[in-house]
Formats: sequence, C-alpha cells, structure tokens
Amino acid sequence: MNKQYLNVNNLSFEYPDGFKALENINLSLSKGERLAVLGPNGAGKTTLILHLNGILGDLNGQITLNEKPFSDENISQIRKSVGLVFQDPDDQLFMPTVLEDVMFGPKNFGFSDELVKKNSIKALEQVKMLQFKDKPPHHLSFGQKRKVAIASVLASEPELLVLDEPSSNLDPASRRELIDILKNLEVSVILVTHDLPMALEICNRSIILNDGKITADDETYRILKNEKVMSDNRLELPFGFALHHLEE
Amino acid sequence: METSHSHHLETHSDSYLVKIKPEIKLISFFAIILSIAFLSLENNVLILLQALIVAGLLIISKLQPKTYLKRLSIDIPFILFALFLPFISKGNGEILTTLFSLSIYKTGVDEMISILIKITLCVTLAIVLTATTSNIEIIYGLQILKVSPLLISIFSFAIRYIDVFIDEVKRVKISMRSRGYSEKGLRTLKPLAFASGALLIRGYERGERVYNSMISRGFRGTLELEARQFNSSNLILLISIFSVVICIVDRLAL
Repeated sequence: MNKQYLNVNNLSFEYPDGFKALENINLSLSKGERLAVLGPNGAGKTTLILHLNGILGDLNGQITLNEKPFSDENISQIRKSVGLVFQDPDDQLFMPTVLEDVMFGPKNFGFSDELVKKNSIKALEQVKMLQFKDKPPHHLSFGQKRKVAIASVLASEPELLVLDEPSSNLDPASRRELIDILKNLEVSVILVTHDLPMALEICNRSIILNDGKITADDETYRILKNEKVMSDNRLELPFGFALHHLEE
Repeated sequence: METSHSHHLETHSDSYLVKIKPEIKLISFFAIILSIAFLSLENNVLILLQALIVAGLLIISKLQPKTYLKRLSIDIPFILFALFLPFISKGNGEILTTLFSLSIYKTGVDEMISILIKITLCVTLAIVLTATTSNIEIIYGLQILKVSPLLISIFSFAIRYIDVFIDEVKRVKISMRSRGYSEKGLRTLKPLAFASGALLIRGYERGERVYNSMISRGFRGTLELEARQFNSSNLILLISIFSVVICIVDRLAL
C-alpha cells in the first residue's frame, strides 16, 4: 500500500494568550492523496496548516514529511515541499509584477535562474494567467489574484499543496476554473474549506476539525451523508444540494 | 474586493526622461538637489543657472502645467513656514522695516527667500522625477545603486500595500456613513479614532500574514527585482555635473 507521506502525531498548540487552538491532532496523508479539512469557524484549521509549514515555531508533538522531522535543518526543504496558498491573496502577492511574485519562491529556494524562469512561466500557464505576467498584482481581480497566488506556490514544485479556503469570495465561473486547475494537478492536496461540494468534488477523504480536535476522518461522501456528524460540527450542505445520485 | 488604483504619480508621457535608466536619473537628480540645497544665494547668475536647469528638465518631462502646479502645492507648508521667518529670525538684529508694530528682520527675509527658491526648485525636481519614473523603476534604481535591501523592502511594501490600505479606509468610511455617520463636529472624532485604531490593528495583522506567506516561500531577507530594459543617457549626467560645478564655484567664491 501507499507509504504515508505526511504524519502528524499528537500535535497540540496554544496561542500566547492561552487559547488552545489544537489538541492532540493525529493525521496522516499518503503521496498523491487529496484531503479536505472541514469544520466551523475558529476550529483551528488555519493554525493546523500553518504548522505544516513550520511557521508557528515550537512544536508540541511531532510532524514528519517524507519521514523527515520538522527541524531547523529541514525546515527550508519542508517549506519547499509544502506549498501554502493563503486565504487572502493580497497577503501573498507583494512584488511589483505578477511574474516577479511567482519567481519569489523558487528564487528563495535556490533554483537556478533558468529553472526559476521556466517554472514560473509554466505555473502561470497552468493557472491560465501567463498573459498577465507583467501586470502589478494589485490591478488584478480577486479571482485572478487567487490564481496567481496558486501559481506563486506551484513554481517551487511542491509535493503537497495546502490551500486555505481557496473558493471563498469567488464568482461561480472562477470557482469552477479553480476546481478544474486543482483536479489537474499531480500533487498531494490539503484543502481547507467551507465549500462542501468543492471538497466532495476534489477530495476523496475529509477530516472535520472542531474546537481544535479531529472529530471525524472518513471518505468525504460518507461524512457529508452523516447528518449527525454534520450537525454536531456545525456543517450543512447547501440548499438544494443532494447526495443521493452518488449512492454506491 | 475591488482595488481602487489610488493615484500613481507617473504620467506615462513619451518624454526622453521616461526611457533612461532609473539609477542614472536618481543619481543625477540627487546631485542637482544637493547642489541647489548648498547654494549660498549670493550670486544671482548662479541661482538663475540652477533655475534654468530645473526649468529645462521640467520642459523635457512634458508635464502638463496644470498637473505640475497641482503637485507643487505640496510645498505650501514650507512656504507658510518661510513666511514667518522675517518676523522671528533676528540674526544680527538688523531691522529692515516694521509692519503693524512687528519688526521685519533682514536675516529672516534672506532666509525666507532662500527657502522659497530652494524648496520650489527641489520640489519641482521631485515632481519631474516621479512623473517620469514609475514606483517600481525607482525601487529598481535603488537596488542597482546598492541601497540597503531593508530600505528597498520597506519602500516596495509601502507602495504595494498603500492601495490595499486605502481600500480598507474607504470601506470602513462607507460602512460608517451607511449607519448614519457624518464627519461634523468634535463629537464625531471619537468613532473616527476607533476606526483608525481598528485599521492600525488590521494593518499589523496583515503585516504578520504577509510575513508568514513570505517565510513559507523561503524568504531569507532580500527581495530581488528582475532586470529591466532602459536607455543609457550621458546628457542627464552632464546636466547634473554642471549643476554640481555651479555649486562648487559658488562656494569657492565665498
């Protein structure tokens, strides 16, 4: 069977003000797997994914990626392997032009000049934003910014792509484009979202995070079908959305 | 979330100044500004020569007179300050005349004239530079001139996020007005103060998020811009050298 690529063991985290954001999280992900992280607001979803990049510092618990523990020596390699796409693309795009923004990551990770350029152009092509490469990011629409933010992470050739609510604030057409892009990527994906139909379409497996704890870990379809699990975790399918056609 | 593209100073003209290397422009303009700042104003011919250099650059920049005058209003605070000097700067105490029982001192008048001339010329140069050079080009020029990477980062973040911040201010203002707020009277200052505080905290939090997104992409302290294509120009360097020579001649003559 698939070897586990990402392992999170007994991860707990408390913010400096005493708020317990994560409690005893155990999670594993195999290579190529797509996992949705569902849960109500304030459940600790964003905190969890920041940990996957070693951003919040000292770990209480253990995370390994490709059997390598998160340590000071490994952190650069881990950040290269785990591409984080933030919720607000304005937080992620700060260089003067779209292309320079996409090149920011691979340059920092020490790619050769030639590879930096090649990867960045390829990443922009993947998200269909190459024609905007010389534009300043703040002149783009929200949906375009989100696509550039994804390209800016893809250019570093991540093995695991972690996205924080990528479909929020997108119009239906932009959302559809985004889903198509994500479905065509050959990397592992962790998708934090409130968009349950999107989770169902992209991810075979889901976990529910509530109050800092994992309260469900199952196939996405089975979680969405379980009314008790859904209501206990403040989740609800959109009005008019039916699962029965997916039975069996 | 729409972005407003708050005002950018570049005028997108086809001026000769637009196409030349930003680092050459920056050095030349800086040299001219310094040589004007250090001018003694004893010799009228030299002042006139410096003024001609500035006027020449203003003409070459193809800036519309209306735009120029509007932007020149930035030196109004300096002018107001300068207008007080004849009354307060005594120097050796020599009084030129009195106005409504207030003494007007000669030193003060000299200083006022000096500030008015120098400020107007220097602000004009800054206007010409910013009208013919985009923000990105200025940052790029500073990078070529090996200015501290930290300063360059601060400058480029300020430019990048000013639009985001202005949008946030606008949204907060609209939400205040939609709940019946109008900026009249002292009492309306309190909600404005709270809103400013909220914006400050939001700005701080955004800073933290931007930084997180940078370190997650391997940031280690330097931002590097890609190479850009510009023309080389010796003319602007010659003009700046001429300006510096004027300043040196002026200082040696003293």
